[in-house]
Amino acid sequence: MREQNSLPPKLPDRVLNWFLKDDLLEEISGDLYEYYMELGDIPEWKKKLFYCYHLINFLRPFALKKLEGRQKLNNYGMFKNYFKVGFRNILKYKMFSFINVFGLAVAMSVCMLIILMLADQKSYDQFHENKERVYRILGTPYVGSVPYATVPVPLSDAIKDRYPIIEKSTSLRKGVGGDAIYKNQIADLKGYFADDSFFEVLSFPLISGNKNSALSLPNSVVISKDKANQLFKDENPVGRHIQFEDRGLRVLDIDGDADSSVDWGTFTITGIVDNDAIKSHLKFDILMSISTLNRLQEDSLIVDNSQKWDAYQSAFSYILLKDEVSRSELKDALKNLSERQYSDLEDLSEYSFSSQKLTDITPGIIVANEDSFRLPELPYFVLSMFASIIMIMACLNYVNLSVAKSLSRMKEIGVRKVNGATRKNLMFQFLLESILTALLALVISTFILFFLKEAFMNLWVNKYLNFDLNVTVSVYLVFTAFALLVGMIAGIYPALFISRRKPVNALKSQIEEKKGKWGIRKVLSVSQFVFSLLFIVTSIVIYNQFKFFTEFEYGFDSENIVNVHLHGNDHELISTEFSSVPGVKNISACEYIPATGVTNLISLVDKRNEDEVIEMLHQKVSETFIDNLGLSLVAGKGLTTSASDDELTIINESAVNKLGFENPEEAIGSIWKTRENSSLKIVGVVRDFRATLLISGDEIQPMLMTSDPENFNFLNVKVSGENPMRVVSELEERWKKLDSRHRFKYEFYQNELDNTNLVVFDVVSVIGYISFLSILIACLGLLGMAIYTTERKTKEVGIRKVLGAAEMNIVLILSKSFMKLLLISVLIAAPLSFVVNKLWLDNFPNRVDFGFGTVVIGSLLMLGLGLLTIGSQTIRAARQNPVESLKDE
Amino acid sequence: MGKEHLGEFEELILLLIILLKDEAYGLAIRRALKEEANRTVTIGAVHGTVNRLEKKGFIESNLGGASELRGGRRKRLFTITTAGKSILEKSRDAKVALWGKIPELSVQNMKG
Repeated sequence: MREQNSLPPKLPDRVLNWFLKDDLLEEISGDLYEYYMELGDIPEWKKKLFYCYHLINFLRPFALKKLEGRQKLNNYGMFKNYFKVGFRNILKYKMFSFINVFGLAVAMSVCMLIILMLADQKSYDQFHENKERVYRILGTPYVGSVPYATVPVPLSDAIKDRYPIIEKSTSLRKGVGGDAIYKNQIADLKGYFADDSFFEVLSFPLISGNKNSALSLPNSVVISKDKANQLFKDENPVGRHIQFEDRGLRVLDIDGDADSSVDWGTFTITGIVDNDAIKSHLKFDILMSISTLNRLQEDSLIVDNSQKWDAYQSAFSYILLKDEVSRSELKDALKNLSERQYSDLEDLSEYSFSSQKLTDITPGIIVANEDSFRLPELPYFVLSMFASIIMIMACLNYVNLSVAKSLSRMKEIGVRKVNGATRKNLMFQFLLESILTALLALVISTFILFFLKEAFMNLWVNKYLNFDLNVTVSVYLVFTAFALLVGMIAGIYPALFISRRKPVNALKSQIEEKKGKWGIRKVLSVSQFVFSLLFIVTSIVIYNQFKFFTEFEYGFDSENIVNVHLHGNDHELISTEFSSVPGVKNISACEYIPATGVTNLISLVDKRNEDEVIEMLHQKVSETFIDNLGLSLVAGKGLTTSASDDELTIINESAVNKLGFENPEEAIGSIWKTRENSSLKIVGVVRDFRATLLISGDEIQPMLMTSDPENFNFLNVKVSGENPMRVVSELEERWKKLDSRHRFKYEFYQNELDNTNLVVFDVVSVIGYISFLSILIACLGLLGMAIYTTERKTKEVGIRKVLGAAEMNIVLILSKSFMKLLLISVLIAAPLSFVVNKLWLDNFPNRVDFGFGTVVIGSLLMLGLGLLTIGSQTIRAARQNPVESLKDE
Repeated sequence: MGKEHLGEFEELILLLIILLKDEAYGLAIRRALKEEANRTVTIGAVHGTVNRLEKKGFIESNLGGASELRGGRRKRLFTITTAGKSILEKSRDAKVALWGKIPELSVQNMKG
């Protein structure tokens, strides 16, 4: 019955060994052994279970090992003491704690904002089932170009047919955007043509409809849930028919500038996508089945580029790789494909494909022709760098102050060491204190973050970047981990430094204040101020640049000009109506508004060398344009309706040079051919004016203006300076009479120009805030040091005063070392900030003048703040009644 | 020591230790508890109680009697002390006295 078959399990015995008192171990393990053997013929696992049950039952006070003494099973008492002492210290030195906690908190809030931004961006496109295997194909038109998110339409099918590593592919052709009409409801929809593998490659949530067939038949559309609600209210949309009128709206358009509408016929709703439930880089309200294209192309409603490999701006392509296919195989396939398709194409012989993993799109590398606005990686790097600098500065404050403060805790350290605390224990204690401080800072920084988030969302760019900065539980966990990390980083040096003290010296309060120790602290402080000055100067420079841009002389008169979008209406008709409005002084028309970001190009055949073309900006304007915008004619005359076959044109002075004429007069009358072989006759030359964005280049580009009423998109209405808004509202009345369909869309030209510079202002805001924080933290650190020094020197000050020193002298004595520190910082940072700013500014178009003046202003600002900080402490100390400081001895 | 209180379970175990004579060790007491008093407890509970009894001075112990059955480990054998005996007697006397004061219950009990 009791064979040697099974012995009690080993592991539980070891556990017993660990917790049981040594003198009880033998009898109890013996009893348990015997018990186990007696259990008899029941299954092994049951035996073990019973055994363990009885074993665990020995977790009773009488049987457990003692908590103290040689066996350190539990350091509860020690931890409790650490916490207690930690909290007491935080409360005892309120000013120091405030400086530390507040400094860390502001710095952490910036880091947390960036964590939030990244967390939001990282959550994009996580909902796709096969997200690990889906790639977007990018196309790079020539070596050195940024990759384009768009590719030619035929790519998607070609790659799937030719390369077996591709499981599926889908193509989104651009070009759907207009009004959907159902009964009396109208909704504007922007989106793409998509094929029936769309839902197989990408997992957009289709809440009704069949995902296998939704996009197969011609004239079927899938629309987004919110647009469906707008159109159909309570009805079930699937199976209903809508009328679609294309207006040329594009997904990226923000306010819907569009052409006149073209009827595309009737479509059937085959599915509803819930786009609000997911976060994707791909945004659309409508997907139209790609088979619809045949009909639209036959009716010439849309250009057929289904086989055009050179139309590389027309589609997005996503592929699903087969399982276990490596990225390099995909790379090879793409390389092979681009060589096959493009080596013969003259203009695009360098064209190459590359791939981008679906989850790497947001946040990702800079890509041209994106389908949605988002920040590329670069700004995150820059922002993270700034945030790290701020964070390091705050940590340095902690290091500085803790090390300085540790002198007053020497006795405590000594006593602990004498009582047997090891160096490890002490390090742990001080790390715990820094972590406590960091956690306190975490609480405060979440409050700061709340306001910071608001401010950040109010930046101009955030109108286009849909950041969702809600704090979720997981983000809070990241924050806490971050705070712990900060606590450890900030605390490691003080912990090492403090725990090194010899107990005897510590008990005697003998301060081992070697020169070197102060040296490190000074270096840290100086580096803080160096960074602060760098930031201050940079933000002043960028602000100056911003002001310079807003006051820029464009070379034309934008005052009191209201630009009105024509929405495809005949410009003559609207002009005639508008010109009768009182207060309207002049009206002209043009294709696009100069200097607001849009340009068109034209290529002229070079007369000197027939193989070459000359590229120029091309603007289509009415006869009154030159007069209306206050452009001055240098030679020739204005545009008139052409009498001959040649189209008449006016060029600017830069174009005169570009075309190889010595002076404007020579150019008049010459005839040039365009690449499309129409001829242009130059009739006038205008003085140069800016037609491109200020940041897009230094030089004024050669420009050519023709009159082509077909292509006018805007009216430039010059209104009288008095009460322009009344004129505008009158214009709106007139507009409604002529076009009831489109909204009256207008913009004051001056505002439009100012808006182009708002992004610069955003940069000013960000850098400005960073420099504010850095100087704040640096000054807090300085304040802490000043408080500490003056406190320690109270007696000295008292004695000096008794002996007759003047307040001024005492202030100077106390401040001397700090002032030296500030001066050294300025000496290092001033040339540095000059050079750094010069470097980037030199590559900046239309830059503002930058000289030492700006650096001096920045330096004075910093010195002023620094002196104020020091002064607040030293003056107080100098004014103190010596009786107060000397009486207790 | 006379003030020490004796719990019901403690009393039971004291009695069993006397009963078991030379073989009174943890597991044997547990076995006897099952057989004589029909009570099943964990081994830990027995050890906890004898530990307490020893602290109170009612029992003494010495190690001995290692055997193959126990993996070569010795047992702690318990014997009752004079203090233990006297507290048992005291406890019994007190109860007998109480029973004597409630004749109706004892008569009823006898009948039943």
